[in-house]
Amino acid sequence: MLGALDGVRVIEVGDESGALAGKILGDLGADVIKVEPPGGDLRARRAPFLGGARDPERSLPWLALHTSKRGVTLDLESERGRELFARLAAQADVVLETEGRAAFEARGIGFERLREEHAGLVWCSVTPFGGDGPYAGYRGGDLVVVAMGGNAAMTGDPDRPPVRCALPTAFYHAGPEAVIGILMALLGREEGGRGQHVDVSLQECQLQTLLSQPGQFAVHQRLSKRTGGKLGRTREIWPTRDGWVTFGLRGGPARIPNLLATVQYMDECGMAPDWLREMDWSSYDPNALEEGDLGRLEGAFAAFFAARTMRELYEEALKRRILLAPCNDAREIVEHPQLRERELFVTLEYPELGAAIEHPDFFAKMEPRPIHVSRRAPHIGEHNAEVLGALGLGTQELEGLAREGVL
Amino acid sequence: MILAGVKVLELGAGAAGPVATKVLAEHGARVVRIESAGRPDFLRTLFLRQNEHGLDGSPMYVLLNPNKECVSLNLKKPEAVDLVKRLVEWADVVCENFAPGVMGRFGLDAALLREIKPQLIVASGCLFGQTGPQRSYPGFGGQGSAIAGFNHLTGWPDREPHGPYATITDSLSPRYVAVAILAALLHRRRTGEGSTIDLSQIESGVYSLSELVVRWSAAGDSVGRAGNSSETCAPHGVYPCAGDDRWIAIAVEDDEQWSALVGEMRSPELADLDRFAERAAVDTRLSAWTAEQEPHALMARLQGAGVPAGVVQNTRDLLDDPQLAQRGHWVPLRHHPLGEMPFERAGFRLSESAGGLERPGPNLGEHNRAVLGGILGLSDAEIDRLIADEVVS
Repeated sequence: MLGALDGVRVIEVGDESGALAGKILGDLGADVIKVEPPGGDLRARRAPFLGGARDPERSLPWLALHTSKRGVTLDLESERGRELFARLAAQADVVLETEGRAAFEARGIGFERLREEHAGLVWCSVTPFGGDGPYAGYRGGDLVVVAMGGNAAMTGDPDRPPVRCALPTAFYHAGPEAVIGILMALLGREEGGRGQHVDVSLQECQLQTLLSQPGQFAVHQRLSKRTGGKLGRTREIWPTRDGWVTFGLRGGPARIPNLLATVQYMDECGMAPDWLREMDWSSYDPNALEEGDLGRLEGAFAAFFAARTMRELYEEALKRRILLAPCNDAREIVEHPQLRERELFVTLEYPELGAAIEHPDFFAKMEPRPIHVSRRAPHIGEHNAEVLGALGLGTQELEGLAREGVL
Repeated sequence: MILAGVKVLELGAGAAGPVATKVLAEHGARVVRIESAGRPDFLRTLFLRQNEHGLDGSPMYVLLNPNKECVSLNLKKPEAVDLVKRLVEWADVVCENFAPGVMGRFGLDAALLREIKPQLIVASGCLFGQTGPQRSYPGFGGQGSAIAGFNHLTGWPDREPHGPYATITDSLSPRYVAVAILAALLHRRRTGEGSTIDLSQIESGVYSLSELVVRWSAAGDSVGRAGNSSETCAPHGVYPCAGDDRWIAIAVEDDEQWSALVGEMRSPELADLDRFAERAAVDTRLSAWTAEQEPHALMARLQGAGVPAGVVQNTRDLLDDPQLAQRGHWVPLRHHPLGEMPFERAGFRLSESAGGLERPGPNLGEHNRAVLGGILGLSDAEIDRLIADEVVS
């Protein structure tokens, strides 16, 4: 089935920070060709591996992030490899890379050089801090970016160091953000014919997780600190019998009805003390409560949640319109009835690995051109013959290049 | 501006809705928000108790809605709904993030809007999507982040989950809404066809976490909280620096970086250590070394040696960050009545179509006359009558 970006060709080269952008473009229907060094990108084809033993063809993060792409190997440090890259780019709409423009200019295959022959080319660089400025040459992956982007300082327990998400949220924000820039450049090209450079800074993308908090600070002068499972003064994370749920004791008109519904639920279970049942919620403001009163209030809710399972609480929350949600792990996400009903997951067959693996199939349902995973991630150099053959290279020439280590 | 001429009509509330169109407005799209005084956007009400400016006094609202216009309509009145339909005829894109069914109750569901204007792009971006048994679950971003898995993944293995600061599905999902809208615009330029986009904030979070799903499905590997440790890098952590609550992140990706770090530490005896097996010992030595140093100077020194390192920047650091300043990330704009605030650019720059932020988020109904008069051609007298009849309110 055709996607919205049918007919758009993308050359993706570089590390994991750009992989999600390439996947999004591929799942939208673009023809994405991932360029790896000969032997494969061993850093992106990282652990864990299917079956456990180190084997770049069995890297699970690679399989997850490179769906809907074809794969070729090219040695960009060799003259012949660079020449083939330039020929691939000449037939592409977009080059997506993660080393920055200068690294390609130094190889003689930079944006300015390639666009001389191909004015419509769009060139997207995803780098830790962007292409200019005093930190332009600084290195950093997810942890460094989450720190420099301001999120880590406010994430975690007050008695421990700042902490990050175990999977790379810096790359998750940069992925769709890079695609926004690329699609704008493609739209602009329709008008004037010329492509342009899309310069993505992982740090600036990461700042967006703060949802304008720094700008608010300029008005309020309140510095947010790490507060563990709390948000402001009140607890957000609560232990249950088998895991944790989020639930806020925050006030405000949008939230008070759900607090009343929770007390009703507790009362039906015989776990709402008299003072709680009689509490006046109309003027409830947790910031105005005495420390002791807040402690008593939280204690009553904590005792109730601790006696129940996540699923039980969530099912009642759905019925009673309570703002409570389970802190799901992978199994709970994959089994989630709402996500199942919407067919979020697609099973891809990997006969050569003896596996069938579920992937999220789309980030949105779109009609008439649906977003979906169109193929599994490529093996190392899987499409060399197909892609380079289309440039006019014959079988013998390809074999020669492979022997020379260019492919 | 690259999106000049693109017309967007926005309905909804909170952070996820407006963030999706903020980047479009930054690049020249004309974005008109439909709001009402009777049921205000809850982002406008967040600071009601702390300011004297009422619904125009919320910094978060103002900061997340720059370059946009606001018209206030009471959608309980049929005449107001008719005005929205006329604006739909004007628009290229309708973007909304109400709970499922709300647009339908106004008589404005996606199918009907596409009937009014088949080449329209309608994007809906609620928590769980427009279909399915739990679509009406009334959550916010905090619930979305937990359901999508981010809380379970964030924190220390021996402690409760946290979730990254703020609500990550509110910052992540709107980027996907913008992606889908732009892809649909490109498709429409080529074919003339409109699109209907049904995005679930939770599903776009799970899509981002494809690695989590694949690892579980392929190998029964349930990724959990891991502090700051990494499966592929060591040392990899956040280490104390001189000062109150000052820290630096250091992530060593290979042996070359490790020997550079050991050289900076002047601890050659560490070079032969198995840095993966002896993580704890390495972290102790590293912490003792970083603890006496000023974080930004240490970052410059380590980066100079080729070691990935970054200060755990607090809010003040961000506002003073020379890199962000050079990039023009902060754009000071004056809002009435809140005064000057630093607004934020998107995460990318286009080399030949700079875009920019020119106006703070609108006050409620600020553009009633510009929109109803300027776009729909209503006379001042007609607009006065609509105000008197509380259609505009």
